[in-house]
Amino acid sequence: MAGKIELEVKGLDFYYAGDVHALKKINLTVYKNAVTSLIGPSGCGKTTLLRCFNRMHDLYPGNRYQGEVIFQGDNILSGGTDLINLRSRIGMVFQKPTPFPMSIFDNIAYGLKLKGVRKRADLSERVEKALVHSALWDEVKDKLNASAYALSGGQQQRLVIARALAVNPEVLLFDEPTSALDPISTAKIEELAAVLKKEVTIVIVTHNMQQAARISDWTGFLMLGELIEFDKTDRIFTAPSEKLTEDYVTGRFG
Amino acid sequence: MTREQIRKTEGFIALTLSTLAAFMGLFWLVFILGDVLVHGIKALKLSLFLNDPAPPGVEGGGLRNAFVGQLLITVCATLIGVPVGVLGGTFLAEYARGRGIARIISILSDIMVSVPSIVIGTFIYAVLVRPIGHFSGWAGAVALSIIMIPVVLRTTEDMLSLVPWTLREAAFALGAPYYKVITQVVYRGAATGILTGILLSIARVAGETAPLLFTSFNNSFFSLDMKQPVASLTVTIFQYAMGPYDNWHAQAWAAAFVITVFILLLTITGRLIIRWRYK
Amino acid sequence: MPRTAKKNPVDNIFSLVTAAASFSVIILIIGILYVLLSESSLAIGKFGIWKFLSSTDWDPVKESFGALTNVYGTAFTTLLSLVIAIPVAIGIAIFVTEISPNFLKGPIGAAIELLAAIPSIIYGMWGLFTLSPIMSNHIEPFLKKIFGSVPLVGILFQGTPMGIDILTASVILSIMIIPFTASISRDSFNLTPSVVKESAYAIGATKWEVVKNVVIPYSKLGVFGGIVLSLGRALGETMAVAFVLGNNHRITTSLFDAAATITVTLANEFTEADTDIYLSSLFYLALVLFVMSFITLAIAKFFLLRAEKKYSR
Repeated sequence: MAGKIELEVKGLDFYYAGDVHALKKINLTVYKNAVTSLIGPSGCGKTTLLRCFNRMHDLYPGNRYQGEVIFQGDNILSGGTDLINLRSRIGMVFQKPTPFPMSIFDNIAYGLKLKGVRKRADLSERVEKALVHSALWDEVKDKLNASAYALSGGQQQRLVIARALAVNPEVLLFDEPTSALDPISTAKIEELAAVLKKEVTIVIVTHNMQQAARISDWTGFLMLGELIEFDKTDRIFTAPSEKLTEDYVTGRFG
Repeated sequence: MTREQIRKTEGFIALTLSTLAAFMGLFWLVFILGDVLVHGIKALKLSLFLNDPAPPGVEGGGLRNAFVGQLLITVCATLIGVPVGVLGGTFLAEYARGRGIARIISILSDIMVSVPSIVIGTFIYAVLVRPIGHFSGWAGAVALSIIMIPVVLRTTEDMLSLVPWTLREAAFALGAPYYKVITQVVYRGAATGILTGILLSIARVAGETAPLLFTSFNNSFFSLDMKQPVASLTVTIFQYAMGPYDNWHAQAWAAAFVITVFILLLTITGRLIIRWRYK
Repeated sequence: MPRTAKKNPVDNIFSLVTAAASFSVIILIIGILYVLLSESSLAIGKFGIWKFLSSTDWDPVKESFGALTNVYGTAFTTLLSLVIAIPVAIGIAIFVTEISPNFLKGPIGAAIELLAAIPSIIYGMWGLFTLSPIMSNHIEPFLKKIFGSVPLVGILFQGTPMGIDILTASVILSIMIIPFTASISRDSFNLTPSVVKESAYAIGATKWEVVKNVVIPYSKLGVFGGIVLSLGRALGETMAVAFVLGNNHRITTSLFDAAATITVTLANEFTEADTDIYLSSLFYLALVLFVMSFITLAIAKFFLLRAEKKYSR
């Protein structure tokens, strides 16, 4: 099942401002058109690792990377990386829905407009496509000009996914995307992930082990900033090779 | 240029302009303070504090009357404004906590803080100057206290609201009546904050000129009688700066220097206390 | 508030005293309104409301008074100062919240707050002695040379630049209101949740695009409230403009003309008014100013409260 490689993490160390060593010598491979989940107890570094992939840490001064993350042949951690370009190719969805203070339509068109799509017809077409993709179209097609804040939490989260999809990213990073949602909305997002992986590579951080088991093909288990084990999801949950992993997935701690 | 280059250039220009704006703010501060400093120190002499004004056009003299008068008016204004403000804030944060009336008074106070001070001068002129027949120090002090009350009232309300409710409950549980809880427990918990608010409100009124123009007016002679017109630094600065004599201008700069240093010191002290206590 | 079955008598008295103290604010507002109304009744009777507001007369000799030149001067200087101040203030807020390295945030914030603490008389005096000569010798001739002969805009730049004029007064006013606008904008900007900003960055927006499309729309209520608050403050500012505006009761169109605002007229003429109708007209002016600024400040407060409510959700 191991297909093409999308992202390759080699010997990654990450330090938060003040030299807090948050990630230690991480080696991991994210395969194309698969769902990779990162699990582990709170504070283990899974979100920190996710935010290395689109260099989100650069927004705050004092953070420091060492090592390499190879994305299509280039080390994205190198100084010359164009962050604007990188982030339009690697999208991200956050824990809480983050609609912008604009209409539903404009939220999704925003990223397209940044990329220079100007024609109304093109915009409409791609907004619709993104909404259909994120399984939100039927619910919002009659109120595209309404404020995005008028949607429910689950709808907002799918709107945000549509917004990320609209710019045709190659990778989509999910940071605990369902932790603020009800079970029904959660199920919808999980179904969505299964469909979306045909077109984009998905990396998801989750607190919920069942979720990781349900939707991902590969799973990485982190603890205290180290990657304890990385393998196919069914192996991690049925026959892990590390004792720590076994303890965690069987609920003996964390 | 590619689309991305255009976007980046636009961003670069906008952010550069923002940075320039920030440094422009700094520039004005340095320019104004520097100017007051340079001119003020040059004109600062001991005689300024020890002598009363010389007749117009005659060299020499000082502003002893204005320094003392300013102090007198400000102290009297504080004596009127602070108790009213603190007690009023107490009502809002304690007895009327959460009630509609507290909210209304709180909003009205916020508006009063910014009402033109010259209007307050005309109001006091009508109620305290004309009926009596002449300007007086008290009229000036009352005008300033009216500016002070809403400032002190609002900070008191905010500071009292910061005191945790459980502290009051603990005191009630010992059987204390509310007024004792307030005066002995809540005030103590909020003392630093209220004091800072008072300092900042003094800084606010000490530089006021407009409300004094028609109330305490001015007095070229030394006077401690608050029932008569009393000189103030600010009104003197206005009169001297607009006047025709060079030595008046010099003395106006010196007075401006003294009052600016006084107010900035009060403000900085207030800010430092807030930072030290509440962060 | 706890309600005990039997009230302590001292507690009763104390609560009444505090209530009286806080009601003093309401009493003061009503008192000011009442006193200004009754003091200006003579002028209201003689000139009415509409005629007073629309008349450009200001003639103590003929005892004919109208507010228009003063209201015009107030509106002109205030609006011009806002035009100058708003971009600078927003720029400062953007710098402090989004650009500045951490070690500069404190000093710049402090400088802005100190600028707000300097009394207006210092601004006025500095304007008279320092800014006014710079304006008349350098900046105004320069502006005149560039814009003086441009059609339409040129009207604003006619006459001899003297430095005691609308432009100088507006520049000083703008320096005075920049701190208010900047600090309220900064506080509003800071309320934008960082995760919303991050999600804009995450689809490849530049920092400026995040500010322009996310931060400013998100905080516009607060920023707008701050601008209106500054407007209210500028309307009532006296000393900063009294030094450098002259006292000219005419409707003028050039930025290089002297003018009069309500506040400047009051400051200059109140103690000189020798007839009842003159003094009454000045009280009438004060009433107009009080009502104007009260309404403006109430609007500002309304927006700031709505902003607060929105963000606390």
